[in-house]
Amino acid sequence: MCEEVKFTVRPIFYDEERVKEMLKKLSVSFLVVLVSCVFTMTVNAAGYPERSLQGIIMWGAGGGTDGVSRAIAPNVEPILGQQIVMVNKPGGTGAIATQFVHSSNSDGYTLLFGAENPQLYGVLELSKLSYDDFYPVNILARGQVVIVANNDMPWKSLKELVDDAQKRPGKIKMGSTGPGGVPYVVGKLMQTVTGFDVAPVPFDGDGPGITALLGGHVDFIPVNLSAASEHIRAGRVKALAVVDSKELNISGTVVPPITKDYPGFGKYVPWGPFFGVWCKKDVPQEAIQKLVDAFKKGADSERFKEFIASKEAIQMNISGDEATAFLKKWQSVTTWLLHDAGATKVSPADLGIPKP
Amino acid sequence: MSGSAVSYFFMAWTDLSLLLLTAGGTFAGIYIGAIPGLSVTMAVSILISFTFSWDINAALALMVGVFCGGVYGGSRSAILLNIPGAPASIATSFDGFPLAQRGEAGQAIGVSTLISGIGGYIGIVVLAVAAPTVAEFALKFAPRDYLLLALMGLLLVGSLSGESMAKGVFAGALGVTLGMVGMDPMTAEGRFTFGSVALLGGIHFVTAMIGLFGVSEAFFQLHSIHLKPIKQDVSKIIPSWQVILKYLPLSIRTSIIGVIIGALPGTGGDIASLMAYDHAKRTVKNPSRPFGEGAYEGLIAPESANNAAIGGAYIPMLTLGIPGDAVTAVFIGALYIHGLRPGPMMMIDTPHMFWFMVGNLVLANTFMVIFGMTGIKIFAKIVEIKKGILIPSIIVLSVVGTYAINNNMTDVYWMMGFGIFGYLMKMFGYQVAPVILGIILGPLMDQSYRRAIMSTENSFGLFLLDLIKNPLTCVLTVAVLFMIVSNTRLWPMFLGLFKMKKSA
Repeated sequence: MCEEVKFTVRPIFYDEERVKEMLKKLSVSFLVVLVSCVFTMTVNAAGYPERSLQGIIMWGAGGGTDGVSRAIAPNVEPILGQQIVMVNKPGGTGAIATQFVHSSNSDGYTLLFGAENPQLYGVLELSKLSYDDFYPVNILARGQVVIVANNDMPWKSLKELVDDAQKRPGKIKMGSTGPGGVPYVVGKLMQTVTGFDVAPVPFDGDGPGITALLGGHVDFIPVNLSAASEHIRAGRVKALAVVDSKELNISGTVVPPITKDYPGFGKYVPWGPFFGVWCKKDVPQEAIQKLVDAFKKGADSERFKEFIASKEAIQMNISGDEATAFLKKWQSVTTWLLHDAGATKVSPADLGIPKP
Repeated sequence: MSGSAVSYFFMAWTDLSLLLLTAGGTFAGIYIGAIPGLSVTMAVSILISFTFSWDINAALALMVGVFCGGVYGGSRSAILLNIPGAPASIATSFDGFPLAQRGEAGQAIGVSTLISGIGGYIGIVVLAVAAPTVAEFALKFAPRDYLLLALMGLLLVGSLSGESMAKGVFAGALGVTLGMVGMDPMTAEGRFTFGSVALLGGIHFVTAMIGLFGVSEAFFQLHSIHLKPIKQDVSKIIPSWQVILKYLPLSIRTSIIGVIIGALPGTGGDIASLMAYDHAKRTVKNPSRPFGEGAYEGLIAPESANNAAIGGAYIPMLTLGIPGDAVTAVFIGALYIHGLRPGPMMMIDTPHMFWFMVGNLVLANTFMVIFGMTGIKIFAKIVEIKKGILIPSIIVLSVVGTYAINNNMTDVYWMMGFGIFGYLMKMFGYQVAPVILGIILGPLMDQSYRRAIMSTENSFGLFLLDLIKNPLTCVLTVAVLFMIVSNTRLWPMFLGLFKMKKSA
């Protein structure tokens, strides 16, 4: 191969000595790279973790996933005895980060910090991957969803909202997001159960959605409780229902369950987003065990519990088979719900997702 | 402001460790800001983990310092190397870099530092005095208003086109198209991705910014590689009072633009500084030099606005718990981690936090001016480095910075592609700035328009009616129309008609 290179190079570089020297340098540096690659690949899991880990966050800085990920990492670092370098790799509702972690080495040094999104990639045709391709190190918490309305709206309950929507179809503006977002999915769920007809206006997420609600640019929005709780507490918006079968108490304000007037929601609730940590499936067993133990302990710390409580989320702290069962159920409920609402591109049946 | 508020205001001033943290943060921020690709958002989110076990006041002092320093720092590389260190400094490079090429880098940095300080203080004053009012005003902006704001910004293409309007419009349209690449956030549908997951995330506009400004300029300078660099005059760096007073009215006007745009939850310092530049170009009749060739007015407007936007971005964060821009979104996360609950109740439950943050901002802004004024002489010398050394360094810096945005190699390829493309554009007399403008404003325009139409039952007629029905929207509509009409031949005719009527 060297001969060939020299031959083609000669007409351009007349100084053959220099070319030879260059090639020599190149081959030496190539060798160095190769050797170092081999070394990093043969690191065994016995002393895991021997160096710092990389945590890939699938959403951008400042979002809900980012917040949870950056809150858990410092609690786990002292237990692992290594630093977790957190990196945001947003894009494609997390598909890029998921792909990245999946194509990284199976050595347990690259972790995926994510939300529920990959469970919908298949039906929305965003990526072939889902959490089936990863090992759930810990599902840290799940969020609750509330349906909040602008204070200027006349409705006092969800029933009044639905009745009003029945009376003037397509006139009530519902804050939403792109497919897969929490407001989008709950909007579809409400449409499936109540059959109401509202005009969804998609925003970039819960935050921008609730901002639009406060400004009166949409009339109601189903959002993560963490984005809405302070506004409910301040009385700036009114909570009509919580997407659960149990009522919710926010500093004395009682929010009725969505099943109160519409028992049809019963088979779907509680529904909400979730946050967790994953690694590749074929990471050595010892490494997985160390990660699971460390995250279990870290998530159990007072500091993290307080954080989750302040975000109005519900701590889960589950891993392994328990987590897998949760993920499967979530995927089955949500994909079939979206499918029945006509919002999927691929039928969950084609992806082998069982009906709930 | 009660007695305890005063004591909280001065808390960071009187506590030595907080004072040093703010100073250190500001100093680090200036350098983080100056390196393209290393963003303040990223730095602040890394600090969340770093300051996890700290006291909240100490953590905030450091982060506020990085924020203030970072926004200002972006102007350094924009002036010296034509690479905006951050998106908020794009407009700074329009006149800042020509100034450096004239040998006035020292004065340019000196003026921009003081003016940034003034802009910053104006932003903080508005935050301290009128935060709730401004926040309520910002909430009033509907999707249609964001559309009009984006349109207003896009009209800046007209003044950035250089020799040919057609070429400028072409470049702007190209930018808008490039801004559409990636997953459409409203339908989760890939646009111009050709089925590739790598393209699903879209083209980050900072990659385009680094490529089109920095790398293409580096390539372009290869033409004159053996030319001796311009000698920089660093004798009078600190601008005189006369100069400051002369530019003060413009600085105040553009700072107000900065505060409002900064306070809007959908827009930040990048759009604020572009609109401020546009405002300067429209209102300043006799600039010190033509705009684009080293006019101090063209430097002052964006620098006032982007620093004023900091105070602006704090307004919705502290009053409503809604981020005013990407950095304040991270701040909100930090407040949660430290056990606070950002939201409309925060000012009522914990008013001292508000005054602590305001006081801290003032302190950080002061440090920014102090640190900004030091070392200018050495920095100005960067432009005097032999091009054989400077150009490769710029390219290395660009690659590293681009990779740092999303830790994604695809971005680096895009950046290099933009560099070569930008070089070709310059060779054929196209301006690169309209492309960036298009990439930044295109998606805002696209989504705002679709939201506005969806809000009016998908009826275009109702949408048009909406444009004049609401007072705020009506003002914006008239402003956009005026901006367009005043640049056509119709305007002198209309003025003539008006004068005739008057005399008759």
